[in-house]
Amino acid sequence: MDRPQPNSVAWIRPHTLVAQALPWIMPILLLIGWQWASSAGLLPSRFLPAPRAVLRSFYELSASGELWSHVRVSALRALSGFAVGGGLGLFLGLLTGSLRWAETLLDTTIQMVRNIPPLALIPLVILWFGIDESAKLFLVALGVFFPVYINTFHGIRSVDRGLLEMGRTYGLSGWALYRDIILPGALPSILVGVRFSLGLMWVILIVAETISARSGIGYMTMNAREFMQTDVMVVGILLYAILGKLADLLAKGLERRLLRWNPAYQTAR
Amino acid sequence: MALGGRTVLEHFDVEVSAGEFVAIVGRSGCGKSTLLRSVVGLETPQAGTITLGKIPASISSNSKGKPDVRVMFQDSRLLPWKRILPNVMLGLEPSLVPLAQKVLAQVGLAERADDWPSNLSGGQRQRVALARALVHDPNLLLLDEPLGSLDALTRIEMQQLIEEMWRSRGFTAMLVTHDVAEAVSLADRVILIEAGRVALDEVVHLPRPRTRGSARFAALEERILERVLGRRAAVVDQW
Repeated sequence: MDRPQPNSVAWIRPHTLVAQALPWIMPILLLIGWQWASSAGLLPSRFLPAPRAVLRSFYELSASGELWSHVRVSALRALSGFAVGGGLGLFLGLLTGSLRWAETLLDTTIQMVRNIPPLALIPLVILWFGIDESAKLFLVALGVFFPVYINTFHGIRSVDRGLLEMGRTYGLSGWALYRDIILPGALPSILVGVRFSLGLMWVILIVAETISARSGIGYMTMNAREFMQTDVMVVGILLYAILGKLADLLAKGLERRLLRWNPAYQTAR
Repeated sequence: MALGGRTVLEHFDVEVSAGEFVAIVGRSGCGKSTLLRSVVGLETPQAGTITLGKIPASISSNSKGKPDVRVMFQDSRLLPWKRILPNVMLGLEPSLVPLAQKVLAQVGLAERADDWPSNLSGGQRQRVALARALVHDPNLLLLDEPLGSLDALTRIEMQQLIEEMWRSRGFTAMLVTHDVAEAVSLADRVILIEAGRVALDEVVHLPRPRTRGSARFAALEERILERVLGRRAAVVDQW
């Protein structure tokens, strides 16, 4: 009984073609099933279009350039909202994490506002900004702010006391202590916040764009609904999935680069 | 000297000469670490003074002529996000890279300069910590149970390395330890703290390098150990 149990997939050597193809078998099977159901007439196209129809409309939309202009608008909104909200969250998180008086002054207020879901503000935001760009920017920035803020604050506060003490006995203080010990110590936590808010960024943007916009992926999708173009709607939904995945990959890459000292992020070879 | 409302050290009066190697032994919670932390200025005594040379010990005082004090902690406290050489360089001018490399070579880790601390063993990390302390050429080196978490063989190796460094550089050393044999093999003088007071202040007259097997070594170690365990020994006698 005490013989080591073989890992469930140990019979597949890692890094072989089979092992790399394995995660893709399921999605491909699903796709084939979907196409088959559509061709056989089990799935009416006004309910869900066939994968081929989606592919065709993706091709047509991108050939006409319409798709890319929507993607550009959406990506710009997402990124600028993220830059504003994330930047502010980082700044205030660093401030309240490092200075007691700033925490006393600001943290309670921020924690209160945090409990309001950003999307609950949509009616008010439309009233304030109309369906202008600034409305989307505001919503995304607000939603992205809190995860970055909270994780930055927490990261600063949970920096190893022992390392801080060591730094002080080695004559570090002020900016040097901050640069060499506090910031790098808080970085893993800050990056968790960044990754979390990148996911949130798309969710908020999708909702904001479907409710009130004149361009962007969400607008394209809602517009397609008016004309029952289910294929365009699916293209829009898939685009969000792809962009979301891209954002996540970016965050992961950032973690792997910035936290390469951490054994948990060192790429296994 | 009080910590968190509890008096840790009192009537504590010890003078250490320059270049001397003093070991401080005692049971857990007797105030050994508090003493070291006060010397480096991480704790402030409520009453009494600690002077280094003629200057009061304090972490914030950057007065000229203040002796350079460095600490080696029980855990290496290397910065995990810096490679080994930058860790040794902590608080140094960038132009002193060659010096850092030299000291790293002296502790036998020159070829690990570009590794992350997480890739080193516990003993190697303590060597880096020693190099990091020595690169500043401190007048006073405080060793806060630096070998406590190492295995027996690595510990003996590290003791030899510390002794070697101390002999070649001539800094004053204060070693806090649980290990009486370690204290006897390294120190010129062993101070036993009990309930916050000096219970024993014994000069070790053994010639260096000291061999643990010798009868005089064993006798001295036995005597100090008995004194440390004093009360418990008495209880055992009654049985």
